[in-house]
Amino acid sequence: MRFALAWRILTYDKGRTALAVAGVFLAIVLVFVQLGFFIAVPQGGMLLYDRTRFDLLIASTSYEYQVQPGEFPLSRLDRAKTAPEVALAAPLYFGSAKWRSGEDGKAPDVFVIGLDPRDRIFASADINLQLSVLDRTNTVLVDSMTRSMFGPLTTGRTVEIDDDKVKIGGNYVLGTGFMGLGVILVSAQNFVHLFPYRQLDQINLGLIQLKPGVDPDHAAASLRALLGGDTRIFTRPELETHETAYWTTRTSVGLLFGSGLIISFIVGVMVVYQILATQVSRQLPQFATLKAVGYGDRFLNGTVIIMALLIVLAGFFPALAAALGVYAVIREETLLPVEMSGTRIAAVFVATLAMAAASALLSMSSLRRADPADLFG
Amino acid sequence: MIATLRPGRERRFFGFVPLAWRNLLANKPRLLRSSGGIGFAVLLMLMQLGFERAFFNASLEVIRLLDGDILLQRASKYRFATKDPFPGRDLEAARAVPGVASAWPLYAAWHELFWRNPADGENFLVRVFAFDPDHPVLSLPELDANLKDLRDLDTAIVDRRARRFLGMDPPPPAAELNGSKIKIIGSFAFGPDFENDGTVVIGDRTFAKLLPNPLGGPLDVELGVIKLASGSNPIAVKQAITAAVPTDLAVLTKAQLLELERKFQADVSSAGPIFAMGTLVGFVVGMLISYQIIYTDLAEQQPQYATMKAMGYRTRYLVQVVLEQAILSALAGWIPAWLVSILLFRIVGAVALLPLHMTMELAFISLLLTLFMCLISAILAVRRVISTDPAEVF
Repeated sequence: MRFALAWRILTYDKGRTALAVAGVFLAIVLVFVQLGFFIAVPQGGMLLYDRTRFDLLIASTSYEYQVQPGEFPLSRLDRAKTAPEVALAAPLYFGSAKWRSGEDGKAPDVFVIGLDPRDRIFASADINLQLSVLDRTNTVLVDSMTRSMFGPLTTGRTVEIDDDKVKIGGNYVLGTGFMGLGVILVSAQNFVHLFPYRQLDQINLGLIQLKPGVDPDHAAASLRALLGGDTRIFTRPELETHETAYWTTRTSVGLLFGSGLIISFIVGVMVVYQILATQVSRQLPQFATLKAVGYGDRFLNGTVIIMALLIVLAGFFPALAAALGVYAVIREETLLPVEMSGTRIAAVFVATLAMAAASALLSMSSLRRADPADLFG
Repeated sequence: MIATLRPGRERRFFGFVPLAWRNLLANKPRLLRSSGGIGFAVLLMLMQLGFERAFFNASLEVIRLLDGDILLQRASKYRFATKDPFPGRDLEAARAVPGVASAWPLYAAWHELFWRNPADGENFLVRVFAFDPDHPVLSLPELDANLKDLRDLDTAIVDRRARRFLGMDPPPPAAELNGSKIKIIGSFAFGPDFENDGTVVIGDRTFAKLLPNPLGGPLDVELGVIKLASGSNPIAVKQAITAAVPTDLAVLTKAQLLELERKFQADVSSAGPIFAMGTLVGFVVGMLISYQIIYTDLAEQQPQYATMKAMGYRTRYLVQVVLEQAILSALAGWIPAWLVSILLFRIVGAVALLPLHMTMELAFISLLLTLFMCLISAILAVRRVISTDPAEVF
């Protein structure tokens, strides 16, 4: 009966209900988008990790986040290699250089990743296959997401990096994330050639692949004991927690999208409340009549709650579909891994129900004005 | 009473009956509800617009501080916050140009110097600016008092508004830069941007000690800050400087340098579209809410409008009343939202250390958007008044 009444009221004035649903739809899309960015930014910072294969990461104790990892001696990695659990220990070298062949004579900064081309560290088999090109002297692979200000990225083009001339050996698809406007891969030998003040025995990160069946937490504990105190070892979940905390608390990202999230939620509440309150005041004589014939406040309040739920549910599912579309656009534009997850849908759904509840509570005060005596005023 | 032929004109001669105003105040709870609804949409727009401006301003603020008319930098420098220095002798060539009053170097490091927070011993990358303390190139009044002490080796002035984990507020007596002990002799209030957590100002000798020229010899200059002699022709002097320095240097006015940075930020960051989208959603939601409000008002007041029509008031006058009412609703929503946003900007700005400022421009743009949003919905809703048939009322 409550449902029937709520349905009748909403379908009585279809235009108005459509308007309410449209408003809720927009508010929910906005919640999804703000949440998407809130999560996409740390994920952008995780891009390189997410797309490489490793079970444990060795870093310096001064590790801040991926782009500012600190340095530690290669000998630590060599010692890690002797552990029985370890299948592969791959060093990574990070550096930043001037790409002196940009458009309009500009020299944008390029993020340089040095590695051993024999280590198959990337999740993508395509990239692993291309790595052998790096064995040639002064040959680099360029990330295809490198910005247009770097000029054409055609294979075979010779470009100037700092004071060296290097040849583009090919493009690979990984994404630049927050590493920089452009990213290139080079062999460790070419890396120290590009950066004469860097030595091969000081590395930035060590990627550890474990033998099949080895428990990462267990291996991490034994490596910590083996390597001593001047390095830090992350398992994958620990790394993800660390990087996410960095991006959400150390930068303005958390506050920026967090406040957007709260405001879009409140806008949703306001829209539903507007519609409910108007409906209630328009139907006030009818509600008063119901009261006069014996229906209690609980029944009337229940009707308003069901109306609120119907409106937000009608808005939620189209909003979910639209958000999927928006996410696809963001993914394409930024190559950030913005994906819809079950937990995110559940979280926004709960927020949507809260929106309905808050607006229903707010409009119940107008319902209390439903006085049967007024009918004959 | 004999109705005049065109009663709508009457008010011009016999006092103004503020019908729209009375309609607005007729139902106080509804007024509260409508200004709340419109206000929140306005607040959403204001926050998004404010964040967008803060994002761009934070990276431009430091350029505005440069105390010069003309700036000299490497032509290949694609943004301010990147190291691309040039030899100091090129700046001396610019200084010799007639019409130049002074030309002094700014040295800078964005990614090379680590600040050790003395409170917890952790190291953080900081942005460091350096200059000759006898020839300061940043116009920060708070710096001037400490310039004398900055001549001493291993001294620094730090940013009290740096991110809190750097431990610069209150300034500690001493800290470390790249492992080298530094005496803190003062502080200034500046603030971080989206890439730099904090700023340290040091003297040129300290800078040379921390980051010596890799090729030996004197320091390379990041930016030449040039002041013109009073009465000289800026365009002519700028041309003369361009002719006097090598072609791999760019000679820019401050406005040009700001424009270069603005363009870079707009090109590479996704901040513009993100905040534009938030603003648009605020606008559309606001339109939906105000349409709803105006439509309901009109529906409730339909008998009154029909009566007025029967009395001979023209449709034009009735439409005018509706539009006036929409403008008043817009103001009733905008004013509280504007006041709340000033407060929110203060709080968020202090917590996030962002340059969130309520400017005239921001107030004007948001007011315009609000009026626009309410007027569009009034125009959509007004058809109801036009179709009012006096006969139907009875």
